[in-house]
Amino acid sequence: MHDIPLILFLRAGAFLFAIGFSMLILKRNAIFVLMGVELMLNAANLNLIAFSRQDTANQGLLLGIFVLVVGVCEMAVALALVIQAYRQFQHIDLGRFKARN
Amino acid sequence: MTPIILSFVILVCITCGSALVMLWTKNILHAALAMFMTMLGLAGLYVLAYADVMAVSHLMIYVGGVLILILFGIMLTNQKGRGDKDQNNLVTEESSRVWPVFIGLATFAGLIFILVRGNFGGMEIADSNSKLSFVGISLLTDYAMPFELVGIYLLIALIGATFIAKQDA
Repeated sequence: MHDIPLILFLRAGAFLFAIGFSMLILKRNAIFVLMGVELMLNAANLNLIAFSRQDTANQGLLLGIFVLVVGVCEMAVALALVIQAYRQFQHIDLGRFKARN
Repeated sequence: MTPIILSFVILVCITCGSALVMLWTKNILHAALAMFMTMLGLAGLYVLAYADVMAVSHLMIYVGGVLILILFGIMLTNQKGRGDKDQNNLVTEESSRVWPVFIGLATFAGLIFILVRGNFGGMEIADSNSKLSFVGISLLTDYAMPFELVGIYLLIALIGATFIAKQDA
């Protein structure tokens, strides 16, 4: 048996989380920001599943499935909001919303 | 280096490299393609973590659902781009690159610092077989209530999304 050590999964998850977080604050396009949120969600999910390997009840795996559904719901509602914001302002540049009065 | 370690390294390279491309590029279509590669690599990582059900459902939901949703969002919001009408050149604006990248690096360093201090040794792998029948049985017995609730939640979210995206809302 050659199992992957747990710490490697955690490091990959930390890397993805950091990239998602910096996308969240670097990008000004709303869809880019949503992609960053998805990346952070998936990094957390990877941690849950990696820890779930050591659990005989596999609770992390089941929580991960529910996290997946919640992520999809968030994405659907958020994209609807983005489309509605585009109809209102004719752009989805987050840096320009605050300048409108 | 055993084949499983080698495949782990390759999958991590695909995942983290595509995530870096997502961070670096300004073209939103390239970012969508990089997100596709990231999700593919993540599904492989789930397989290596003995969660095959999760890998398949992740592929179906993210590649088949969320990515298509994002592409529809890009199309419906009619990004201006740089003016080359024949190319998919949808360049978007972004803030200064220095500070956010610095903050991201600091987040990564902080998480690694916590992980290095933590003690994750001594835990045995419980079960390295397929989790398919386990997930199916427990979703309909122990986790039946959350399963139904998440179904209702999905219904509410989708109805709400169509209501918000309505033309004359």
